Amino acid sequence: MNSIQEMTHFVSLNDRDLTFFISKIRIKKLPGPWQYMGKQVFAFHRYLKGIIMFRRYSPLWGKKPELRPSYDAVIIGGGLHGLSTAYFLARDHGMKDIAILEKRYIGFGGSGRNTAIVRANQRTQENVLLYKEALDLWPVLTRELDYNLMFNNCGNLNLLHSEAAINSARMNVATAQFHGVESHLLDPVQVKEMVPALDISEDITFPVYGAMYHPPGGTLRHDAVVWGLARGAAKHGVHIHQNTEVTAILRENNKITGVNTSSGRIKSPLVLVAAGGYSAAIIYEMLGIKIPLSVLTIQAMVTQPLKPLLNHVVSSGAYHVYANQTLKGEIATGSHMDPWPNYSTQTTAHYIKHQAEALSELMPCLRGVKFMRIWAGLADMTPDMAPLIDGNHQIAGFYLNCGWGYFGFKSCAATGKHLAEFMATGSCPDILKPFHLRRFEKHRFMGETAEIVNYSPNN
Amino acid sequence: MALTLTCPVCGKRNGYEFRYGGEDKGPRPAEGGLTPEQWCSHVHMNKSVAGIQKEWWVHRDGCGMWFTVYRNTAGNTEVPEHDLSLKSQNRDGEA
Repeated sequence: MNSIQEMTHFVSLNDRDLTFFISKIRIKKLPGPWQYMGKQVFAFHRYLKGIIMFRRYSPLWGKKPELRPSYDAVIIGGGLHGLSTAYFLARDHGMKDIAILEKRYIGFGGSGRNTAIVRANQRTQENVLLYKEALDLWPVLTRELDYNLMFNNCGNLNLLHSEAAINSARMNVATAQFHGVESHLLDPVQVKEMVPALDISEDITFPVYGAMYHPPGGTLRHDAVVWGLARGAAKHGVHIHQNTEVTAILRENNKITGVNTSSGRIKSPLVLVAAGGYSAAIIYEMLGIKIPLSVLTIQAMVTQPLKPLLNHVVSSGAYHVYANQTLKGEIATGSHMDPWPNYSTQTTAHYIKHQAEALSELMPCLRGVKFMRIWAGLADMTPDMAPLIDGNHQIAGFYLNCGWGYFGFKSCAATGKHLAEFMATGSCPDILKPFHLRRFEKHRFMGETAEIVNYSPNN
Repeated sequence: MALTLTCPVCGKRNGYEFRYGGEDKGPRPAEGGLTPEQWCSHVHMNKSVAGIQKEWWVHRDGCGMWFTVYRNTAGNTEVPEHDLSLKSQNRDGEA
């Protein structure tokens, strides 16, 4: 038994004891601050304040705004792309009259369901630029929003399990280096030095041939980004309307005129659909426009919390698994998609089995560790695994930003920044031009994957 | 994901035996006078309905038959054809 195996055997930190303790507290009998030998040892009143905080909840982004009858711009979807677009529209383009309309609550969809990984080692140069900018933006936004986004640039380690995979990774590395993104190849021994828990022997189904290492990537707390951007946007005057469902997008003479919502009609010359996995259905249902998307359910899960054993985001295409250890100690891991369209967020035993097999082969010390939670979200997949960003194309004033599949989180800040410029000026910035919807008629696919992946319905 | 599909040859089978073949978009468009937009629409564009849609499947790990079924994408269940008139296209997957 090696040391890591030992570690994981008796480190499952749980807060059962704490829960028991709390359940025994009777609020009425509480003394003042706890004292021992005349010194305050435990600020119980502060602890109570923490409990009360949950009762008198008021959102960071201020009180619920009144729905105005008209706005300069309406954004459908209170996810990260919508929030960041609103934030930059208000901050950089002086647009003060913006409404974000969210059917449920902000961060309900992919924004709160992703596994919080950020990186800029994509395959095509059009994509790399966008993701690189997003990666550079996190520390800037942390300061600017005055909100800790918990950016942990621990680096991404992409395991390669064949000569072909290494050759393919060479191209990714070359693209990254060309654009000034740090990325390089490692051999199995170097990989083992970085992540001792990995099995680099030949005894596993897909032995490790090497890895692509991308140091500036890492993880970011996704909820913090939602809350930080929401607060930032609200400070600049953006109205965030939760529990407000858009029921129709209105147009006249091929121009956007507004939207109907569950709380009334809103006039607006600009409408952006940034509703993540729900965008495709909304756009077809409300405007009759078909877009090249398939919406699939994607699943992820976390194990029980463990002592630190994984200091990088590790991923493997062959095992179809990626894993990183959260700051709480859980191994967060994904990600399986059933390859057919599905708007439900059901999870499957099939996947739990797959994930347990893959993880315990790659990192044998995880055998016997329990999964704590599993959840699912929606991934809107394009045939070329690159997003759809378009505006003023079918209808003047109609913008769409979707098709991110499972990459939407990594790019939200940079995309929002440039999309804000697009919406404010009406002309598409160069960095977003490649993601135009017309690329499919022109047969100009992005080539974000070397071949169509087997979990896509386009295969 | 707890999906059971009815193969016209083999009957009800586990969904993982099948491969999804796309939304039913009608017959392939005629080549005469076909524009890139029409072709693109037929090949790539989807309605992505959150509700009941008609779609193609192939019994990949079985008899190899191609067939269409109605499935509710909101609840991930097959909808038998005789039930279609009973169920409205509800986004929440309820009848």
